[in-house]
Amino acid sequence: MEEKITTRRKVLIGMTSAVGAVGASFAVVPFIASWNPSAKAKAVGGPVKIDVSKMQVGQKIQVSWRKQPVFVIRHSKEALKNLSKVESKLDDPSSLKIDEPYRDINPTRSTSKEYTVIAGVCTHLGCAPKYYPEMESQPWDESWVGGFFCPCHGSMFDIVGRVFKGVPAPTNLKVPPHFFDGNILTIGEERGTA
Amino acid sequence: MKKFLLLVFLFFCSQHILPAVGAPCGDYGDCDDFKPQLNNMESLQRGALTFINHCYGCHSLKYSRWSRIAEDLEIPESIFAENLVFGKDIKLGDRMTGSMKPAVSETWFGIAPPDLTLVTRLHGSDWVYTYLRTFYEDSSKPYGVNNMVYPGAAMPNVLASMQGQQILSCKDIPVIASNGGVRRDEYGNDITEEKCGYLKTIEGSGLLSNKEFDEVIFNLVNFMTYVGEPARSDRERIGWYAILFFVVFTALSHLLFREYQKDYH
Amino acid sequence: MAQKSSGFFNWINTRLPIVNTYERHLSKHPVPKKVNFWYMFGALASVVLIIQIVSGIWLMFGYENTEEGAFASIEYIMRDIEYGWVIRYMHTTGASMFFAVVYLHMFRGLLYGSYHKPRELVWVFGMTIYLVMMAEGFLGYVLPYGQMSYWGAQVIISLFGAIPYIGESLEIWVRGDYYISGATISRFFALHVVALPLILIALVFMHLVALHEVGAGNPEGVDIEKHLDEDGVPLDSVPFFPYKVLNALVAIGIFGIVFSIIMFFFPEGGGYMLELANFEEANPLSTPEHIAPVWYYSPYYAMLRAVPDKLGGLVVMGAAIAILFVVPWLDRSKAASIRYKGILSKIAMTIFIISWLMLAWLGTVPVTALRTTLSIIGTVIYFAFFLLMPIYTSIEKTKPVPERL
Repeated sequence: MEEKITTRRKVLIGMTSAVGAVGASFAVVPFIASWNPSAKAKAVGGPVKIDVSKMQVGQKIQVSWRKQPVFVIRHSKEALKNLSKVESKLDDPSSLKIDEPYRDINPTRSTSKEYTVIAGVCTHLGCAPKYYPEMESQPWDESWVGGFFCPCHGSMFDIVGRVFKGVPAPTNLKVPPHFFDGNILTIGEERGTA
Repeated sequence: MKKFLLLVFLFFCSQHILPAVGAPCGDYGDCDDFKPQLNNMESLQRGALTFINHCYGCHSLKYSRWSRIAEDLEIPESIFAENLVFGKDIKLGDRMTGSMKPAVSETWFGIAPPDLTLVTRLHGSDWVYTYLRTFYEDSSKPYGVNNMVYPGAAMPNVLASMQGQQILSCKDIPVIASNGGVRRDEYGNDITEEKCGYLKTIEGSGLLSNKEFDEVIFNLVNFMTYVGEPARSDRERIGWYAILFFVVFTALSHLLFREYQKDYH
Repeated sequence: MAQKSSGFFNWINTRLPIVNTYERHLSKHPVPKKVNFWYMFGALASVVLIIQIVSGIWLMFGYENTEEGAFASIEYIMRDIEYGWVIRYMHTTGASMFFAVVYLHMFRGLLYGSYHKPRELVWVFGMTIYLVMMAEGFLGYVLPYGQMSYWGAQVIISLFGAIPYIGESLEIWVRGDYYISGATISRFFALHVVALPLILIALVFMHLVALHEVGAGNPEGVDIEKHLDEDGVPLDSVPFFPYKVLNALVAIGIFGIVFSIIMFFFPEGGGYMLELANFEEANPLSTPEHIAPVWYYSPYYAMLRAVPDKLGGLVVMGAAIAILFVVPWLDRSKAASIRYKGILSKIAMTIFIISWLMLAWLGTVPVTALRTTLSIIGTVIYFAFFLLMPIYTSIEKTKPVPERL
């Protein structure tokens, strides 16, 4: 008894393996897909609404969306004017390296002329940066002009979340999908996609 | 192999020849047949509307989410939220936990109305379909109605205004002779006897005709069947592909096996 | 392969004998060249075991082992997790198919005398696997905490109460509570997903090692080791790879068709695989009208009900399984296969099959006087088949077993 490899055998082996591989790749779909957020997680992680009219100028508040901090900052006109002054210190002032959702609309990077909405998750390794609005010398930067500093690994961002040069964080803080309906800010949803 | 298949066949036959005792639908006998139409979106949407307007006041669907129903039944979320969801504080992702507090309902009905998410799987859609159509007037009961499928049910006939008054009546039934034909008297007329326990709706007492009412219940139970297992239509669709795959795979591997069998046969 | 293989495999093989093991137990392992479809169920059983382990792990991602959360978490898996229903139905269908395949595999053993010398230990390990599977299936069935889970477990745990003196305290100890509660569920969960699967895998390993030591049997009952070629390989054998692997692929394909039909179109198995009462959350204050075990326990459940005594029923049920372990020593026939056994064995086997199927059916339906009588008859036939085996297999005239396959 000898095992011969004829053309017929090769063709049949090829076809059987191909069909088997197709079946196997479909069979793994449910196992992979079931690791996605469930309907429950999606319901809990639904959009959140807040009234931002009570915020004071210069104030930062933290909102929880999908159990992640989102920072909302109300800027003074002066602070917004000064934004261009720090650009020399920034790595990517126009957010070209990331997929910026509302690019070139407002200096705040949001859909509002006054408020900034950014994810409070450092793009380095995920810590929550702290807000130091004062324009005064800080231990990590003598010429600090206000912004975010991450206590974990020392990354620095300006007041609208743009990353400084020479810090571990590679990109600007992300802007989550949001829209303003008068004074009501909705985070987690674009206008009209409900 | 043949003997084995024959054995399997006989085993399944025996399951039908020797059915379990007791009629599945109580005093009604066998349940009326119900064939769900899970791809009939209009029926499911109408059923959902009936459920939320007439049942959801007391019964929850607590394992189901509003948004899933809107999505599966192809109802745009804005229309869904305005017309079907009661209560401003309800988010579409929430579970349908009902609008009544169990303690309140227990004082009303003596028993908390059960959650109905899985009722069609527990009793079968046939049973629910028959149950909802067999309420009849019975003044001895607290709500003035009783049910043939589930005698003593602690539920009023919520849809009575549509169905009208349904009563138990008697009618004359031809007597069947031993030869199988209708027995006749010496003048050639059929001999009949009076039998009771038949449901009869009083014509004109409800908003809908019997046929229209059955359709409302069909849509309602169709929706409840969907809620019992929302993935069912997906399941049956994917099932055909799985079977097709295994048929092709079996055919090819059989050819390969036969080819290699030549080496030692 | 060892000769051909270059540096890497050689390097490994001189440190860890994977190539040798692969050749000895898989690629070159000699298997009888002529077997029939009955010899495919062993391979299928290992396929189902893998299905159960994988789908089981995935179910654990969504399952919650608490009294309050168990039932709802099953519906969470069925609705909220993407394709959760695929994984759950795969597991429930797999459970029934595991038993179906193992019953057919065991029946093959009875039919062709697969337990005959020198394969006694293969049979004994196999029976131990079956016993552990029954426990595994029972524990798994309790986890959804539906009405049938609860009352089924109530009935089975109450069996411990039949044991004299310690019964009642044993019941409470097993439950860890005065009813089947969260405490019971969490220990059953740990046993179901970790302890018993580990034992099961170890036993399957032993079953296979023992089998490969003595070689697989065949429907003729021929000892293929008698005629060897110059390399010591049985003349009537073919190497496992590729010949038997291809045979197994065909079997897996057909099995896949059956599995898909059930899983996608009849996942409840008409109420025999997923009992309808289990679509209602457990209620310790209300027993469902009709309690029946899932189909794979039903013959033993019928025996339990046939005996009008609590302890007696337990003893009979236990004995019915225990007696299977000693079959290798009950069969005195010179021929292993039913094909060469005498007429008495053939008659006994036929009556046994009929009565076993009858018991399986009786275990799923409510009792009536007639059915109880039938259960008693079935139970007597079941035991008679085994207990009389030493007699009818030694007095009957067997046909001569051929030399070659």
